[in-house]
Amino acid sequence: MDYLSRIGSDAWALFKGFRITLKYLFSPAVTVQYPLQRLAVSPRFRGALAFHEDTCIACEMCVRACPSRCISLEAKRNDKGKKDLLWYRIDLSRCNFCRLCEEACPTKPKSVHHSPHYELLFGKREDFVSEWRRGKSSGVTDSCVWRRYLPVPDRPRAKEEKPG
Amino acid sequence: MKTTDSNNVQNERVTPPFRSPVTPDEGELSENELWLNMGPQHPSTHGVLRVVLKMEGEIIREARPDVGYLHRGVEKLAENRTYSQFNILTDRNDYLASMLNNWAYCLSVEKLLGVRAPERAEYLRVIVGELNRIASHLVFIGTFGIDIGAFTPFLYAFGREREMVLDLFERLCGARLTYNYIRIGGVMADLPDGWGDQARSFIPHMRRCLKEYDDLLTYNPIFLDRTKGIGAIPKDKAVSYGLSGPNLRASGVSTDLRKDEPYGIYDRFQFKPAVGTTGDTWDRYFVRRLEIEESLNIVEQALNSLPEGDILAKGQRPTVRPPVGESYAQIEGARGWLGIYLVSDGTERPYRLHVRGPSFINLTILQEMLKGWKIADVVAILGSLDVVLGEVDR
Repeated sequence: MDYLSRIGSDAWALFKGFRITLKYLFSPAVTVQYPLQRLAVSPRFRGALAFHEDTCIACEMCVRACPSRCISLEAKRNDKGKKDLLWYRIDLSRCNFCRLCEEACPTKPKSVHHSPHYELLFGKREDFVSEWRRGKSSGVTDSCVWRRYLPVPDRPRAKEEKPG
Repeated sequence: MKTTDSNNVQNERVTPPFRSPVTPDEGELSENELWLNMGPQHPSTHGVLRVVLKMEGEIIREARPDVGYLHRGVEKLAENRTYSQFNILTDRNDYLASMLNNWAYCLSVEKLLGVRAPERAEYLRVIVGELNRIASHLVFIGTFGIDIGAFTPFLYAFGREREMVLDLFERLCGARLTYNYIRIGGVMADLPDGWGDQARSFIPHMRRCLKEYDDLLTYNPIFLDRTKGIGAIPKDKAVSYGLSGPNLRASGVSTDLRKDEPYGIYDRFQFKPAVGTTGDTWDRYFVRRLEIEESLNIVEQALNSLPEGDILAKGQRPTVRPPVGESYAQIEGARGWLGIYLVSDGTERPYRLHVRGPSFINLTILQEMLKGWKIADVVAILGSLDVVLGEVDR
């Protein structure tokens, strides 16, 4: 008798489980076909770091804020006593995506900030490092990795929110 | 001649091989016993844990957990980072409940500084902390089902409901796993527009889904056979091993730091800590399932009474120099009492930091619990303890 009631209760549990499966069989899928469809990331998303040389004042606040020495730069004082940025280097292999550099940056709009780019693929270790360097002839040379492949990220968050 | 010399030097340099205390030794075995290594690459150890088992047939006579494969020296790293820089490393201790790690650390630093987070920040901390506890328990429900052999609940708990919580966190702080959201003296950012409504709509959805999990997993006869009465921890043993969190409550001890020593603003919320009866594997599962409901209640209350105001204490700078002294702050983490001990020497970096990781202490009972059970129960018992190896090894 125990044996039979066990069969009955197991069959009922099986039915309850399959009822849920059946319910979701006919409801819309929650997944997307990734390379063809993409989910939008939120405005605050912390993706690859982006750097803008036009506003940077070479104050080294980001270098000091970074917990893993991901950012380095070199600057030289010019005739007016102001700092001229010589080069600015971001090593994404060390980046923790923690937003501390962005919060430390005092310029408006931010010179260094997280971009929404999350598809980061690098073939070599050297590719992780992206560097901006003041060029000799043309003034500014752009050599950031993500700028080579992707459009330059704009700076939406400088207006959107105050650093917490 | 030269070659013989160098050979001699080499021979002299040979040191006796290091023997770990867990290393299995043939000499310890009786006639019908054998050593079996489970892990470190076993899929159900949820990370890299090695358990050396002395088997007699399929019955376990002795178990020796071997931890340390994920050791990163977090406590030492803290001595070379400023107080706000170390916050991001606490994310990586218990990576399934990063918010709660941030919270424990920030409470400890705030104790040293004598700072209190503003009212709104305290509410935001409760909301994100409880949502993160839900996300962490959802991972447990999903992976525990897989350990036992039920694959479907994983797709719902881990792949759908947890994603909703992570989406909320992504909108709030921009990260899905390592948040760095709770900061010394407050939180990182205020809620974006419409976040509260999105969080409110998650609560009834989650309550509906819990009923589905009950049908799929909790009261499934196969699941009950695998978990009921397996690996029971008596009350006194659970206390003497220093278990905490859901593992202790499953044994029938009603302790919850949110009730017993309310930190933050937990004394303002109505909730009842979930308590089990026998402390078996099913109870440890069920206590976590009940805790999701309690957390949902707390989130709902906090969202309804969220005040306006600052999110960061006034004048709080990223670089802090706490006065010389020491502090210990503990919170009810997703896995138990999560405590951070800090010693300050007055500089901008901690002199010493220690983490009381609940997973590590909960894991110590494994060697006692596994004795006498069958090899198939190891996975169920280990899974029910819900350890995160990132926190065990630190």
